Amino acid sequence: MIDGATREIWLHRVMFLGIALATLFWRLLPLPLAEAASCAPEASLCRLWVWLDRMPGPDLLLCLIFAWTMRRPDYLPVLLIAAVVFLEDLLLMRPPGLWTLLVLMGSEFVRGRVALTRELSFMVEWLLVTGLMFAMIVIYRLIFAMVLLPQAGLGFALAQLFWSVLFYPAVVYLSRVVLDLRKPAMGEVDAYGRRL
Amino acid sequence: MAKMRSTPEEFHRPLRRILVALLVLVLLAVFFLWRIDSPRVERFRAALIDRFVPSFHWAMAPVTWGLEVVQDFQSYARLYEQNQQLREELRQMKAWKEAALQLEQKNARLLDLNHVRLDPKLTHVTGVVLADSGSPFRQSVLLNVGARDGIKDGWATMDGIGLVGRISGVGHQTSRVILLTDSNSRIPVTIQPSGQQSILTGDNSDLPPLEFIEDPDAVRPGDRVVSSGDGGMFPAGLLVGTVVLGTDKRLRVALAADYQRLEFLRVLRSNALTAITDPGALLALPPLQGPPAPPAPLPSSAAEAGSNG
Repeated sequence: MIDGATREIWLHRVMFLGIALATLFWRLLPLPLAEAASCAPEASLCRLWVWLDRMPGPDLLLCLIFAWTMRRPDYLPVLLIAAVVFLEDLLLMRPPGLWTLLVLMGSEFVRGRVALTRELSFMVEWLLVTGLMFAMIVIYRLIFAMVLLPQAGLGFALAQLFWSVLFYPAVVYLSRVVLDLRKPAMGEVDAYGRRL
Repeated sequence: MAKMRSTPEEFHRPLRRILVALLVLVLLAVFFLWRIDSPRVERFRAALIDRFVPSFHWAMAPVTWGLEVVQDFQSYARLYEQNQQLREELRQMKAWKEAALQLEQKNARLLDLNHVRLDPKLTHVTGVVLADSGSPFRQSVLLNVGARDGIKDGWATMDGIGLVGRISGVGHQTSRVILLTDSNSRIPVTIQPSGQQSILTGDNSDLPPLEFIEDPDAVRPGDRVVSSGDGGMFPAGLLVGTVVLGTDKRLRVALAADYQRLEFLRVLRSNALTAITDPGALLALPPLQGPPAPPAPLPSSAAEAGSNG
């Protein structure tokens, strides 16, 4: 027999995998980019739109990983995170392994402080995640520089960071409302009867 | 009670820590392996994409179809404006058509005069763009033709009009095209009519800059840029685009290929590249060492000079 808690865990793991594949799928779609030449000369709104379209969007997978590890670390085992991000590394033509490593370390950092972050308000959590993402980007770029790899402009990376940070509350809210993901309440126990 | 609860964790936690440490090490190793021996890892990547992306194809079709519908709908909204624009363009086109017909006749006459035979070796394979992991960081597309269709690394890829990029990474049934705008792309080009040689250097922007121009004053915006065939990389004379002056006062190229709508690409079969195996006969003369040989009887010295030359 499978009890409720175990089923919840596996259900959420499968959901995570599904969402990750969906975001990856979206990023692989051959979508046309908007171009500035198609705008009328005085349509500044159109230009703004084109500019936004050309900038990198949020890294939703990263937001998702942080939001979930912050709430229920037992839903996201390390191997699952590593496998998903490594697949993303390979498919999106990033150097394989490096970003996975950073995401892994970031999630481990959060996981190790679950007892602490449980009592924090959302604002502080948001700040913490922002700091983590920023640190990850800085380390990523530092390592790139160290092994002499060419890299895209800092502006692009910062734009991605900006969008990720902006979308983080939305990801948290949606996981909470749609997927019923919340911090464990007082006295909740897992399948072995241990306190969460 | 508390002790009993912690017993399974006493084994669990250190094990977990070891697992994480191992994972970190493995990932670091993979990264450095990629950095050191990139072709091997890239082959693995190509094989993975080869398996993974075509299986997405059934899911991609409806999404791309839906997006096209949305775009068509948006264009309905501007129907009148577009109609006017099209009429105007049509008028211009008619003028051009006249010019083109005249030029065609003239061209045919000239070709006839010269007995020109166009290069029979340039045949092509046409592929459809499967996926596009284009982002501000990387500019490449995936084609649905691969080693099965005889595609090889390094071949040039065009859309109907101009050069798009080169094949870099071939799987069994997919291949990756690095676009000219990618920051890793370097293409030798010739600028017409001045004949200046230059390197087209991708920098992830829409208008890749030209570098190493010998005499930038001889190049004007509006000049045609064609591939030069230097280094035996590409066939010579493929249209790349026209020179424009960027906002940063650098000479850049407006690409002739329509990068917004990359759908069907043709991969040009190039001839096998000649591999360079020896250091080059022109450069490496046999080293002359030691004092000059003592004067010998005349006929033998003449024979030696002949053999040296």
